[in-house]
Amino acid sequence: MKTLLFCVVLLVGCTCAPAQNLKEFEKKVTEFTLANGLHFIVAERHEAPVVSMHTYVNAGSVDDPSGETGIAHMFEHMAFKGTETIGTTNWPEEKKALAAIEAAYDRLEAERNKGPKSDPARLKSLDEQVEAAIERAQSYVIPNEYPRIIEENGGAGLNASTAFDSTEYFYSLPSNRIELWFLLESQRFLQPVFREFYKERDVVLEEYRMRVQSSPQGKLLEDFQATAFEAHPYHNPPGGWPSDIVNLRLADARRFFEKYYVPANITIGIVGDVNPAEARRLAERYFGPLPARPLPPVLHTEEPPQPGPKLAVVDSPSQPLLVVGYKRPDQYDKDDPVFDVISGILSGGRTGLLYEDLVRDKQVALEAEAGDSYPDSRYPNLFLFFLAPALGHSVEENQKALEDLLARFESKPVDAETLARVKTKARADVIRRLASNPGLASLLTSYYAAYGDWRKLFTSLDELDKVTAADVQRVARKYFVTPSRTTAYTVNTGTPPAAGPRGDVQ
Amino acid sequence: MTRTHVPFLVIAAAAMLAGQAPRAAQPPSAAAPRVPSLKDLKFPPLKPIHIPDVATVTLPNGMKLFLLEDHELPVINGTARIRTGNLFDPPDKVGLATLTGMVMRTGGTQSKTGDQLDQELEGIAASVESDIGETEGSVSFSALKENADQVLGAFHDVLTGPAFRQERFALAKSQLRSGIARRNDDAHGIAQREFADIVYGKDTPYGWQIEYATLDHIERKDLLDFYQRYFFPSNVLLAVWGDFNTAEMQTKIENLFAGWTVKQPPVPSFPKVREQAAPGVYLAVKTDVAQTFFSIGHLSGELRDKDFPALQVMADILGGGFRSRLFQRVRTRMGDAYEIGADWAANYDHPGLFEISGSTKSASTLETLKAVREEVEKIRTTEVSDDELNTAKQTALNGLVFAFDTRTKTLGRLLTYEYFGYPKDFIQQYQKALAAVTKADVLRVAKQRLHPESFTIVAAGNPQDFGQPLSALGSVKSIDLTIPEPEGKQP
Repeated sequence: MKTLLFCVVLLVGCTCAPAQNLKEFEKKVTEFTLANGLHFIVAERHEAPVVSMHTYVNAGSVDDPSGETGIAHMFEHMAFKGTETIGTTNWPEEKKALAAIEAAYDRLEAERNKGPKSDPARLKSLDEQVEAAIERAQSYVIPNEYPRIIEENGGAGLNASTAFDSTEYFYSLPSNRIELWFLLESQRFLQPVFREFYKERDVVLEEYRMRVQSSPQGKLLEDFQATAFEAHPYHNPPGGWPSDIVNLRLADARRFFEKYYVPANITIGIVGDVNPAEARRLAERYFGPLPARPLPPVLHTEEPPQPGPKLAVVDSPSQPLLVVGYKRPDQYDKDDPVFDVISGILSGGRTGLLYEDLVRDKQVALEAEAGDSYPDSRYPNLFLFFLAPALGHSVEENQKALEDLLARFESKPVDAETLARVKTKARADVIRRLASNPGLASLLTSYYAAYGDWRKLFTSLDELDKVTAADVQRVARKYFVTPSRTTAYTVNTGTPPAAGPRGDVQ
Repeated sequence: MTRTHVPFLVIAAAAMLAGQAPRAAQPPSAAAPRVPSLKDLKFPPLKPIHIPDVATVTLPNGMKLFLLEDHELPVINGTARIRTGNLFDPPDKVGLATLTGMVMRTGGTQSKTGDQLDQELEGIAASVESDIGETEGSVSFSALKENADQVLGAFHDVLTGPAFRQERFALAKSQLRSGIARRNDDAHGIAQREFADIVYGKDTPYGWQIEYATLDHIERKDLLDFYQRYFFPSNVLLAVWGDFNTAEMQTKIENLFAGWTVKQPPVPSFPKVREQAAPGVYLAVKTDVAQTFFSIGHLSGELRDKDFPALQVMADILGGGFRSRLFQRVRTRMGDAYEIGADWAANYDHPGLFEISGSTKSASTLETLKAVREEVEKIRTTEVSDDELNTAKQTALNGLVFAFDTRTKTLGRLLTYEYFGYPKDFIQQYQKALAAVTKADVLRVAKQRLHPESFTIVAAGNPQDFGQPLSALGSVKSIDLTIPEPEGKQP
């Protein structure tokens, strides 16, 4: 689960070396948009002959259709399965074989759709036919050829992630091989082949079992989110509900891809030892052929106002964990910088108020942290508190300590020194991030995708600078209120597990 | 005791694509655009990797200093590496080194409390941190250039005059206790921890762990003594990199540390790993999981083994990534795992661990473990293919550039080689040896160094859901995860 913590930075009247201010940084950046709407941001850093690429798609699990939760994440996995020319020994035959799987599966589903009237023997036979069709199609596959090519060419940090608001693909290469990235990345979105779909569905389910079902924290956060959000898709786990995952179909993934992976919905960042003119030429050559398609509809489902405080309790034999969230507006709200400042005051290092009060002084918590945007930030979300009670201390004590802290926080304006410290820290964070190609590629694309301008990475500094102690108090008083609060914690009821897989989906 | 092991990033030199001409500009195509083919790609030669000069000097007090300029950003960083480690914990005081490393910073200095340091440093977005791990201690700092002097001062004070105030010592102990209480909450961590501890031996410095009882035996004076024994100038390597002038920084540091002249006898060698096998199937019961987490293997070797390159290739082919045998079989073909891999993790100065690890749904536990066993057998009996060998070597060779792409990495490597007595050109030697590895080599080392009959197999999960009994793999020993109570206390 990804919590997008926006790093907002202050640029005080700068007497420092120029590298980290906007004017100087801008000189290194070239931007262009292809005719099909695909936007590129290229930033030069010639420190070493390496280059990092980051593809940011404006679609994530929040766009999963009802009944198909997990499809955005499934497509992310499919994006590593190759193309019509990569990963297959015989595309024309494989194509037929893949179609045969779908036909067999359709027949299976038709029988299932009879509900209680479906014939178990026929179901079993149809299921075997699907398995046989999968085996046949598999015979044309060169497994993992696509990522193998990347690794073999020195690819570093190869990975992808599906968050709620976005799906991102990234890796770095020795800079002389940048054309390989252009070829592979353009082709994976020009002609993705959804091979090994049903096997990969099993892998995705294993991922869910690992991250959620076998993790006390994973279980807690899943229930917390599902409780805090009732209508809005932040309610769903980013990997999908297990019963949806096991019913995902290839056609679902293809529909999702065609609807959301349109060039105008994608931003690409290239940072490192790159020649911008060459990058542009390559972009036109490789990504030009991607057909322009209309932007997908904007998500319109809104979370209705929270009627009162909510509570979720998760049975777990582990040591207790506590999560508290308050509803807050999205990242476009004029008070977004204030939330960043509040998070910096409450949490971060050893001077955050949560650490000083709950960990150091009262010693009721082993860990006490705040996050300003959970689970993501494009839509109204949560300001989050995460607490791990210290040994011998309870969830209740931590709840009380947190409430007391927030009450004091709201009643007494923060002092000037603390405010300055938070702003200085944020500024320095951005400076330090300028030294990382992959980090920069990620930041530039996400700011562009969110705000239409990568410069916001720097200009949000000014917004942060304007935040006053009064703003902090106002926002805390307005949003950290009981009716907007969702609380979730683990409790050990001591109930032994039932025989057989627990909460598992066959 | 073992801690989270950071695998040595093995990278070898880029195999230059000799004689590749730069690509000529393509005229715009008038016909329907042909999808470009991989085969058509030609890469220009890789630009030479410029490895910058590091200035090295031994100060009058014995401290060895390494300086590397970097003017891209107005930042200065530094790390002092100290020869010590939790391997030096007395058996009844396991946790002493860890506590010393924590409280060195949080306990403040002679002139400032930890809180004052926190306020001061965080107020200028700087940091000074300390830590003691298994085979090294470190004190590090980071500062914006404009605050360099101030932060260097704080760094000096923490390194040379920590106060170990009682309050922060008590807090650190309490935090470690809370950590002990939580150590069985995550099944993944259990399998890896128990595997490492069993393989090294739970009664040895590499395998024992911090317990309530050992914490109870540790007093503040122990921390002072531990600090005094190991923190002295000739036992320190200090690396500083960032936006400064070498000569000026050298003078600054020399003056700053001029008064630190304490002497101690040379630090003893670290204890040797007990060369042992701990064969068997071990089960840690965890009922709140939907998967079984497993770790399988035995001791590995050191980085300077002459067979390390071949062993690295072997482990890579077996379980190193998307293209590896374990990944292809257990994850891609069988759909039985999200995480699965194999690692010949060698250390600089003592044997590391050969470990196959991953997790699978409870019902496929036996199937997965059997598949692992079969893949190990296969790589020990048949040569790998040309394709596999080539892929493994190309991957490592072409990724070499990422070993040198930041000053931090370059300097860190230099310091590590210095610290462990490795030649400066070790990575280049490694690269040459890697390029020469043959299929016969891979088979030979698999036969000689993989001993499945001696495997330690640790599984953490719910045996009720395994489907088949784990004893199908051999007689099963039970791991008791119960956390021992503190002495003389009732639960």
